Amino acid sequence: MSKLLSIYREKWLKNPRLRRIVLLLSVFGPATITAMADNDAGGVATYSIAGATLGYPILFALFFITILLGVTQEMGMRLTLVTRRGLADLIREKFGVKVSIFIFGGLLIANLGTITVELSAIKTTSRMLNIPPMLFVAGILLLAFLFITKGNYKLTQNIMLIVSLFYIVYIISAVKAHPDWGLALSNLVYPHGVEWTRAYIRNYLIIGMGVLGTTITPWGQFFISSFAFDKKMNSETLALSQFETYWGAFLTDFFSFFMIVATASTLFVNGIKLESGEQAALAIQPFAGHLAGTLFAYGILAAAFMGLIIVPLSTAYAFSEFFGLSGSLDTDFNQSKVFYILFIAQLIVAALLITIPGISLFQMAVATQSLNAMVLPLVFYFLIKLTNSTKLMGNNANNGFQKYFATIFSVLIVIASVITILTIVFHW
Amino acid sequence: MAFISELTGKPVTDIDGVKIGVLKDLVARLYKEFNHPVVDAIVVQAKDENLIIPYTEVVVLLAASISLRQSQGAFPKYNAQDEDIYLVEDVLDKQIIDTDGARVVRVNDIELVRVNGNIIVSNVDVGSSGIFRRIGLTKLASKIIPGLRKEPNRGCISWDFVEPLRHNQSMRLKVPADKLAELHPSDLADIISDLSHTETGEFLDNLNLKQLADTLEEIEPDYQASLVKDMADEKVADILEEMSPDEAADLLAELPANRSENLLELMDDEEARDVRKLLLFHEESAGGLMTTDYVSIKPNLTAEQAIKKLREIGEEAELIYYVFVTDDENHLIGVFSLTDLIMAQPKEKVTEFMHKRVVSVNLRDQQDEIAQVVSKYNLLAVPVVDDQNVMHGIVTTDDALDKIIPTSWKKRLPRFFGTLK
Repeated sequence: MSKLLSIYREKWLKNPRLRRIVLLLSVFGPATITAMADNDAGGVATYSIAGATLGYPILFALFFITILLGVTQEMGMRLTLVTRRGLADLIREKFGVKVSIFIFGGLLIANLGTITVELSAIKTTSRMLNIPPMLFVAGILLLAFLFITKGNYKLTQNIMLIVSLFYIVYIISAVKAHPDWGLALSNLVYPHGVEWTRAYIRNYLIIGMGVLGTTITPWGQFFISSFAFDKKMNSETLALSQFETYWGAFLTDFFSFFMIVATASTLFVNGIKLESGEQAALAIQPFAGHLAGTLFAYGILAAAFMGLIIVPLSTAYAFSEFFGLSGSLDTDFNQSKVFYILFIAQLIVAALLITIPGISLFQMAVATQSLNAMVLPLVFYFLIKLTNSTKLMGNNANNGFQKYFATIFSVLIVIASVITILTIVFHW
Repeated sequence: MAFISELTGKPVTDIDGVKIGVLKDLVARLYKEFNHPVVDAIVVQAKDENLIIPYTEVVVLLAASISLRQSQGAFPKYNAQDEDIYLVEDVLDKQIIDTDGARVVRVNDIELVRVNGNIIVSNVDVGSSGIFRRIGLTKLASKIIPGLRKEPNRGCISWDFVEPLRHNQSMRLKVPADKLAELHPSDLADIISDLSHTETGEFLDNLNLKQLADTLEEIEPDYQASLVKDMADEKVADILEEMSPDEAADLLAELPANRSENLLELMDDEEARDVRKLLLFHEESAGGLMTTDYVSIKPNLTAEQAIKKLREIGEEAELIYYVFVTDDENHLIGVFSLTDLIMAQPKEKVTEFMHKRVVSVNLRDQQDEIAQVVSKYNLLAVPVVDDQNVMHGIVTTDDALDKIIPTSWKKRLPRFFGTLK
């Protein structure tokens, strides 16, 4: 810690304007970026349905998910800091083309699912704001493309500001709903206070997978390396980055915690089944009153837009690492073209998927985020294998806790995935 | 002609036709006077060990089954050397520097050719057809990639233009003097941004002071700082002197205060003074972006005298196309271009042909404002003045637009979300 402080102090003293920037960074730093990016519209929808269907006991799962998020993101960050190669780069170099195609396929499917949820959230918003859905979706897609070509950090920051304000609304609402704090907090330690019926356990498993998959995302594992890429490895930056990733994991789930508490204390307690955006908006009614619906619509719209940018970008980014796009695939097929095509193609496929009628945002969120969770062990396998390697990582290879915690949870996720699939297939 | 992806995994049999394992890797070595590595040995994955067998023992390599001259156990030992290149282990799927295209690319496949009984590495395949071949879809590739059938070598780079990056081993640049030195500093910077830490260190060691300074100028200051972190202070000070003062100041601002003070002490006094002045300003204001290497002359000169004066002072300047006219207190009173100067009569006073309404920016102006001014008036550089119209420096267009126009996707993505500091 003292090392961290001295780094900050040095920066502060050197440049008075940095003082302001450092202050800003503590709010809008990478930690916040991770938090904002992780809690996209899929996140809001999944946490909402988790709180509404399961109540406080899902917080128990959230507790472990937070630690796993911190541990795995730190691995990804450390991997890139030490090797200056992204996760995708290293998978390609150590495991070859076939494995790369396989992993990329998994990532692509998971990401397509997530993008579909973001678009589905936008569709839900359009209904809440009384705008023709397809027109609205098309408009947003156009905006997303403009953002990619013309956007900058300032604009990103403003959107993130809106999203974070939206999360703060959940915190205030959670407090104003006067939840049973004792019950909520004790559920972080052990799940209790509900009747463990067969249906409840089934829901807990499926939605729990959704919560896992929306909090720890396959794309997040590839995304983190883009932050680490330009930094030079030394013990100071490593310590700082480790602190930042753990802080980011905490912050992500700090918001998630209040989202679940807010929905649990309004919807679950009153036995309201979550099916529409209006119902989800009830969770922020204690704060927003009759404006809850509108506020929810704008909040989830901003969150969806953020996801709509980041997730397809992460696919394109991983693609370039896996297959060496910086060297351009073919001489006449230049780099940016492939990027744009990949980006737009994902949006178009997702847009086609949401035209399928009769699927609600919340069902889709749980389904796709569970799918995300099932891809995770695949990514973790390589992440753990690479960061375990002392040949690659030197002194910075995983320690016992990192290795075993991540491995044990990867195995648990595989088991949970299998049971979830069986549960769904055989209607247990 | 064969590709390594088609060779690996093939059965290797001894003189009696007994299978001893499968081909795992090829060991190649570079010989003098020849730019392409020659295959000297093969690595065979036997039951429980990897055998390295000299190429002289191989009857035929480019065939469906690889047969050897002797029976197992009778092979002479291969004399392994440090500069051996293990084609699968060291090159395949790894990044290399394509010195022709000045980019870092990933090797999808390696092409081998038989020349005078030897097998040499002719090309590396960095195109998408290599990826299709690796997964056994060569036929599909020729259907969907336009022009592949006509040019089967599409996406291949000759080994002449390849600089392999070898992990955990020191990088031996083959011909640093001519291959890399020919590259533009901005290309060198792009390459550096794709290398790992150990590689960058060695890469930089291969450049001379001037190249180092020019290359560093093309890299983001925070990353520059990490590159010079492990260099000796004397060397860094020399590099800083080579760099233009504004770039040097940006770099120093990124370093710890005590180190940057040390470096300033080591630098030439005059250079250090300029840099110190620039350090006072915020890095994204005109004061922080400007360079003090501009040319200015006094208003009492004639065109003829001005040209003479420019010959004396122009050497050091970052840009001499704009000549600024300042009075004794260094107030900015006019500007003219080299065209104006050459077109003027020799005896004409500069005050007669200079432009008196000078577009300038204030020391405190922010980068986006400067960029707007530069693009609105189509300038190559804009003078920077303080509130009293005293001239302090110029901001060149490339510096003004630098942070606004992103250079590559890899750099652009973090920019959307703000890089970590």
